[in-house]
Amino acid sequence: MGHAMADGGAPKKLVEVRGLKMYFPIHAGLLRRKVGDVKAVDDVSFDIYEGETLGLVGESGCGKSTCGRAILRLYDPTAGEIRIGGAEIAHADAETLRKMRPAMQMVFQDPQASLNPRMTVAAIIGEPLDEHTTLTKAEKNARVYELMDQVGLNRTFANRYPHAFSGGQRQRIGIARALALNPKFIVCDEPIAALDVSIQAQVVNLLEELQDRLGLTYLFISHDLSMVRHIADRVAVMYLGRIAELGPRDGLFETPLHPYTEALLSAVPEADPDAETTRQRIILKGDVPSPANPPKGCNFCTRCPKVMDICKSVKPDLIEVQPGRHVACHLYNQTTTMTAGQMAASEAKKSIQQGEKR
Amino acid sequence: MPDGAQPVLDVKGLKTVFRTRGGEIHAVNSVSFDLRPGELLGVVGESGSGKSVTMMSLMGLLPSPPADVRAGEVIFEGHDLLKCSDEHLRSVRGAGIGFIFQDPMTSLNPVFTVGFQIMEPLRKHMGMDKAQARKRAQELLELVGIPDAGQRLKDFPHQFSGGMRQRVMIAIALACDPKVLIADEPTTALDVTIQAQIIELVRELRTKLGMAIVWITHDLGVIAGIADRVMVMYGGQIVEQGPVKTVLGNPQHPYTRALLTTVPSVRGARTAKLNTIEGQPPILKAAPVACAFHDRCPQAFDRCARENPARIPVGGGHDVACFWDPATNGARNG
Repeated sequence: MGHAMADGGAPKKLVEVRGLKMYFPIHAGLLRRKVGDVKAVDDVSFDIYEGETLGLVGESGCGKSTCGRAILRLYDPTAGEIRIGGAEIAHADAETLRKMRPAMQMVFQDPQASLNPRMTVAAIIGEPLDEHTTLTKAEKNARVYELMDQVGLNRTFANRYPHAFSGGQRQRIGIARALALNPKFIVCDEPIAALDVSIQAQVVNLLEELQDRLGLTYLFISHDLSMVRHIADRVAVMYLGRIAELGPRDGLFETPLHPYTEALLSAVPEADPDAETTRQRIILKGDVPSPANPPKGCNFCTRCPKVMDICKSVKPDLIEVQPGRHVACHLYNQTTTMTAGQMAASEAKKSIQQGEKR
Repeated sequence: MPDGAQPVLDVKGLKTVFRTRGGEIHAVNSVSFDLRPGELLGVVGESGSGKSVTMMSLMGLLPSPPADVRAGEVIFEGHDLLKCSDEHLRSVRGAGIGFIFQDPMTSLNPVFTVGFQIMEPLRKHMGMDKAQARKRAQELLELVGIPDAGQRLKDFPHQFSGGMRQRVMIAIALACDPKVLIADEPTTALDVTIQAQIIELVRELRTKLGMAIVWITHDLGVIAGIADRVMVMYGGQIVEQGPVKTVLGNPQHPYTRALLTTVPSVRGARTAKLNTIEGQPPILKAAPVACAFHDRCPQAFDRCARENPARIPVGGGHDVACFWDPATNGARNG
């Protein structure tokens, strides 16, 4: 694919996210006093270039959906800046925000829950047109039919209700609704998680076709690493509200830098029995810590197989260690690329440090 | 069966029908399979392919009505579970056949401690007293890798994370040393890193305890990693069955072949476009008279719409219910 590079020259940034924080307060006790925060998204920065797909992966509860929703201002972010096409989103007032809505849309995870069961398909797809345009009835109908054709829904079903459709078709309705206002940027929040494997491929192919035809930019949120590898140009791996690693798809999947990315990739089973018997797995111990009380230092230090002393006290920054490849890990702090020798040296240093402590 | 060993579980011609307001749904159509001692049988299929319903009907876990197990026999330790008394069935559930359900969030009772729920089958089936049961429950929790097991017995399900709850479910299923363990999508609700932990645990337990396991999933990758034999279900029927290496390495049924190519991989070459299976899975309003896959099948010919193919052995314990032969790209003989 490589849509970003298609027109040559430097790719243009469409979405810029800087220091995004989304905290949800925890209230407890009789007086419901605020006792803490769930740090769902904790200081996340990234860019999405025009025409590309950024995959956002991570385990459940890592904040990937919250991040996607905050970017579209479905939540009011605690801190940070969000710019889409140059326009400031994070602090815009309701009126300005409303005018910007057509350019940014969302496809939701659960096609069952995100469609109003009392509206016909035509009404669902047409609703954004009612809200944001002044089309006549005939023009609107024509646009609805055009959208239904685009997503591969039969026009004759326009007056049916969502219950009459299968999961895959409902997701197509959701996609048609997102496309209605010719958006530039679409956040796809786990659009295939609720679908069967044979249907997932249909929806992913549709999303790719639409991107090619309409020049869309996607933020594709998913926990399915293999699907993200298929659809994304660049991938961001999130862990406990922070980005652990961000880089071009091929490099990230071939040589993951962050120990978490490495473990995550090695945990994906493969439908090949021979490969499965010989494959080296990294089995992480324990569970993801609570985002209300993340560990001090690097948030992965409680499960990391390569943990060092510094990880337990100092939070690593997301730094560029190779062109385009960012990683937040102390293993890559001193040098850009660590060779095996250096790795061994740092191991030795680590054991010396531990020795001194005792 | 070609191998000498007596199967621990032998299912023949199982048919389950649901009566709904909109008519009958034939969820399981003449399913036959056996499970040999100590083997891990993977069952793959999409939702609605009848894999869970098959396993639940053979243990009498489906409410009737609407479910109606119309025909078939399920032989476990010399008894037909479909015809035996409720009392006998109760003694088999939990003790002879353990069951792990899909969703660890909803299958534990939130108002009882985890310890109570593990001790319940021990006291009912094994006649243990409270102290013995508690000791065994602690052993079980240690076995499934829950740290600080003695203390955790007093905790309630909401105090455990998803992966830990699934471990508790496994501990309950293992409590009475069942001969057969049926695991219905035990890792589907879990994250990949937790899934890897659970798979590792089941692998370990298998070598330690030597029980036969039926593992239901829609993820072919999981099957490739742990199963000895695999059964592919579609439209309430078994369409392909055989040793996991031959089925995944040399799939015979067009559905299995499509299923293998429609899922992208995290390793190896990356395809520009995903292969898809067009259309929707069928809803079976009547017993099948044609191949259930024929309207989505790229290889279908006229015979497929007229006749439901029977399972034909293709050698090496591998069989397939299809008229098409991938070796010749034509009709299969016989």
